[in-house]
Amino acid sequence: MKSFKYIFVLFFLASLASCSSGSGNWGWYVIDPTTKSGLANIKFLIGGFGATILLSIIAAFISIILGLVVALPGFSNNFFLRSFNRIYVEFIRAIPLLPMLFWVFYGLPVIFQSLGLKIEIDAFWGAVITLAISDSAFTAEIYRAGIQSISRGQREAAQTIGLSQFQAMRYIIFPQALRRILPPLANQFIYIVKMSAFASVIGMQELTRRANEIVVTEYRPLEIYTLLILEYLVLVLLISFAVRWLEKKLGSNESNSN
Amino acid sequence: MKEVINIKNISKYFGKFKALDSVNLNVLKGQKVVICGPSGSGKSTLVRCINRLESHDEGEINVLGHSLTDNRACLESIKSKVSMVFQQFNLFPHLTVIENLTLGPIKALGVSKKEANERALYFLDRVKIPEQAYKKPNLLSGGQQQRVAIARALCLEPKIMLFDEPTSALDPEMIAEVLEVILDLANDGMTMVVVTHEMGFAKKAADKIIFMDDGKILEENIPSIFFKNPKTNRLKKFLDQVLNY
Repeated sequence: MKSFKYIFVLFFLASLASCSSGSGNWGWYVIDPTTKSGLANIKFLIGGFGATILLSIIAAFISIILGLVVALPGFSNNFFLRSFNRIYVEFIRAIPLLPMLFWVFYGLPVIFQSLGLKIEIDAFWGAVITLAISDSAFTAEIYRAGIQSISRGQREAAQTIGLSQFQAMRYIIFPQALRRILPPLANQFIYIVKMSAFASVIGMQELTRRANEIVVTEYRPLEIYTLLILEYLVLVLLISFAVRWLEKKLGSNESNSN
Repeated sequence: MKEVINIKNISKYFGKFKALDSVNLNVLKGQKVVICGPSGSGKSTLVRCINRLESHDEGEINVLGHSLTDNRACLESIKSKVSMVFQQFNLFPHLTVIENLTLGPIKALGVSKKEANERALYFLDRVKIPEQAYKKPNLLSGGQQQRVAIARALCLEPKIMLFDEPTSALDPEMIAEVLEVILDLANDGMTMVVVTHEMGFAKKAADKIIFMDDGKILEENIPSIFFKNPKTNRLKKFLDQVLNY
């Protein structure tokens, strides 16, 4: 199965390349590294990696912390804390990413302004905030599922050896849940990388925005968007490998007797 | 002798189901009480009410002079003084045996790490598995795991030990090694309440045997009378079944 993926990719590339020599539909010259303009275009397109990666990592980092902050009150005995968890998750999960991005980038500054605050949101931070908040509802649910998957007996045993609720979470429940949480969290990171493409809409110079800009000047959408897709493919495959490796590493230590 | 557990007229509901129905029970310091009865009779629920894993709906439970309520101070005062051993052991799989044993004393009782370690090794020795201290629980047999669980409970130096069917999840040949450890504790004067189907153990260890059915205590007696002269037909039938097969 694994090798199948690569064979498919190679086949796909080969078929594209063969088109370029034949009919006149393809114009790979726009990204031909042997020509001066092609090389410049490639450099410009690949230059978006940094922004896409930075944006994704910061957003994922915030989302992982925010998700936990949202998930934990869901286990409280306090009705209001539990309600906060449910309302946050249901509400944030219901907002499509693009409208939320518009709201944060164009709407939020209006609120700040009317409050007399001098806070400006540039495209980068607008995208980070939106991706992080939008994703945090999902990470919160991942935490919840992981924590709930630890048997009730573990909680009871923690209680009978005198641990407080917080200590039980800190020393017993969470360390065990973490192993089950990591793979879906990593999966969520892939999702963030892909969704970061929306940041192009508010003018952030990441992979997709740069592709759009070249398309506008060169009128070669097929070639450039093909390269764009491959750029995301490379990123996601790299993350996939890292996740596999992580899962294997954790799996070898897995020692659940209950 | 001092009364350490006093249960007055407690009832407990799970939805509409009455799991406990006006149960009364006294346990004196050093006493060993065995609770038996068919499954679903409320034995486990009763024991779990004593350390507040379940809360009772009516009546009053007094443990070591504290009336059990949801009050935090009350829970604080009985926590770790009433220890429990579960049917499914409930060891912490991500920690080694010795970490299982020292976590409670260090985090809940504020004992120093060194002292907690010494205490843990002492009790591991007592349950006869000192050589397993640095392994993960899943490498141990069921009987060994349950003995670790008993040692973990003992590390808190509890005043009362509760056992909720400690041998029900074990292979037959491992039951003996666990019962031996519990008997040893009993001879040492520990106050204990044991839910079990092991009638041989009950005969040997119990000061008092309680028979429950439908959330009620039907009979309560010393072992010699309990087994020879059951008063109710329900107990007669129950004993026929557990003793004959």
